[in-house]
Amino acid sequence: MGILEIKDATLKFGGVTALDHVSYGVQEGEIFSLIGPNGAGKTSMLNCISGLYKPSSGSIYFKGEDITRYKPHKRASRGIARAFQNIELFPQLSVLDNLMLGRHVRMKTGLLAGGIYWGKTQREEIEHRKKVEQVIDFLEIEDIRNTPVGTLSYGLQKRVETGRALALEPEILLLDEPMAGMNSEEKEDMARYIIDIHEEMNTTIILIEHDMGVVMDLSDHIAVLDFGKLIGYGTPEEIQNNSKVIEAYLGEENAV
Amino acid sequence: MRNPFVMDCGEFHVNYKQDLAIWKITRVRMRVFILLAVFAVFPMFASDYIIGLATLCGIAAIGAIGLNILTGFTGQISIGVGAFLGVGGYTSAILTAKLGLSFWIAMPTAGIVTAIVGGLFGLPSLRLKGLYLAIATLAAQVIILFVISRWDALTGGTAGMVLSRPELGSFVFYSERSYYYLMFVVLVITAIFTLNLFRSRVGRAFIAVRDRDVAAEVMGIDLFKYKVLAFIVSSFFVGIAGALLGHYTMVVSPELYSITVSIEYLAIILVGGLGSVFGSIYGAVFITLLPVVLRSGVELMSGVFPDLSAVLIGMKEVVFGLVIILFLIYEPQGLAKIWKNIKDYFKLWPFSY
Ligand SMILES: Nc1ncnc2c1ncn2[C@@H]1O[C@H](COP(=O)(O)OP(=O)(O)OP(=O)(O)O)[C@@H](O)[C@H]1O
Ligand SMILES: [Mg+2]
Repeated sequence: MGILEIKDATLKFGGVTALDHVSYGVQEGEIFSLIGPNGAGKTSMLNCISGLYKPSSGSIYFKGEDITRYKPHKRASRGIARAFQNIELFPQLSVLDNLMLGRHVRMKTGLLAGGIYWGKTQREEIEHRKKVEQVIDFLEIEDIRNTPVGTLSYGLQKRVETGRALALEPEILLLDEPMAGMNSEEKEDMARYIIDIHEEMNTTIILIEHDMGVVMDLSDHIAVLDFGKLIGYGTPEEIQNNSKVIEAYLGEENAV
Repeated sequence: MRNPFVMDCGEFHVNYKQDLAIWKITRVRMRVFILLAVFAVFPMFASDYIIGLATLCGIAAIGAIGLNILTGFTGQISIGVGAFLGVGGYTSAILTAKLGLSFWIAMPTAGIVTAIVGGLFGLPSLRLKGLYLAIATLAAQVIILFVISRWDALTGGTAGMVLSRPELGSFVFYSERSYYYLMFVVLVITAIFTLNLFRSRVGRAFIAVRDRDVAAEVMGIDLFKYKVLAFIVSSFFVGIAGALLGHYTMVVSPELYSITVSIEYLAIILVGGLGSVFGSIYGAVFITLLPVVLRSGVELMSGVFPDLSAVLIGMKEVVFGLVIILFLIYEPQGLAKIWKNIKDYFKLWPFSY
């Protein structure tokens, strides 16, 4: 059984079926990619995993626990972290504060202890600051740690958002098009970070990406969505030779 | 040895403790201590009238910090502050006058009772945001005032209640000076608590809820819990301010807690700076003193133009509204931001870029 199991998930918005009886499993420690044409339901799938959407039917298991009805914050505390397709950072806060917010579920200080800020609170703050500094080192964003993220370039914001999710020390990391809108150099860096996260921290990663080169290089398994339906699942070679997948992609290209 | 005539070009923190301090720069820390010292010593030299005004400013600042926690830091507008001040004032009045409890028990209890009431009226924040939530707090304002003015047996109805000044052993806080110091201690504790709160976990979560609630949720912040918690902490300080005000003026009655008061507090944090502890203090001083300054201005001029005061006396509300609008247009981040701009200017002086 995988770390994450999607069982027969269906999600409807009025007349639109964003997910149509989708089932698959993600193995612990792998890089798993979700691909599909625009509007296929990839982001909707991540929203169901992180709890922003509740599937109309079907269920989601994380490490054997049924999390279908859990609210997002409870899923985060179980170790599910997420970076968004459209950046969702806290724009007025510094990179450091954004990353410290990533540590929220790992910290304990309550209201009173925070207001008094003695001994234990200060020690906790320092201890977690060290963890955040590790993430900052890892992503090579030392020079912008005190900059408000709203003023950073798009590529850097994407990197900071990945960092914030990473700061949670997730068991599973959901990345929604982390390389979109980047130049090829930034893309290469990001691909390297993803490989490093995977290898050094042993984090399971679910990746949504349109660049097929990247997807084929990085993934252990790939699932293909089209109009909300799962039309293919397998290793990169299997997907490349899957006639339905080829058809869906060719169909899209013909339409364009 | 450091050359006292040279400003540092920057301050470098070599450990996390230094970097996490409230005032990271020695110069700033010095200035805060000097400011504290000035405010601690000034009543020795000022007249009772001035000290009394300062006390009112300080009490307003405590309530404004409370409101700022909710509105400025967590992004939830409340139009119910007036009524929450009333809850604090009345709780302390009832506990001291009817039950004979000491002020030192009554004041914190007033804070706690107001926190509970605030938390209850904060429950709609589960479903409501922005203007809709503001309307819900307006309902709180109306309901609380209704209860206060109708529950005669407990609150004395529209006649209100009389309070006494706090006592400590045989000492009664009767002089303006002594009450000022009482307020000063509470204000300093409130300010330090709030500054600390916003450099630790819960305060950061409040700000996250304000800036991007979806992201906050996905990072593991329980939106409902933190929204209601913001109502609770905020109302606690408003309740404390209400109790302090009640024992200062020695009277509580429904018309002292009208919606005008709520709007005045919103004006304080708008003018002072949303999401700024020091801004709350600047704003409280500004809005408390504005009518006083206006009135003395009018009195001065009426010596020259005797008919003028009759015309200008109604101008208070107009000027008030005008000031708020000007701030909204020209400096939405308030006095705190203006003060920062001035500091930044001189940091780089004489280079303007
Ligand atoms: N909140 C919503 N309300 C209504 N419809 C929605 C909502 N979210 C998604 N949809 C619809 O669900 C379908 C799938 O959208 P989704 O964002 O999951 O696609 P995607 O695969 O992530 O596409 P892209 O590659 O463009 O990011 C689309 O038809 C979209 O219009
Ligand atoms: Mg998408």
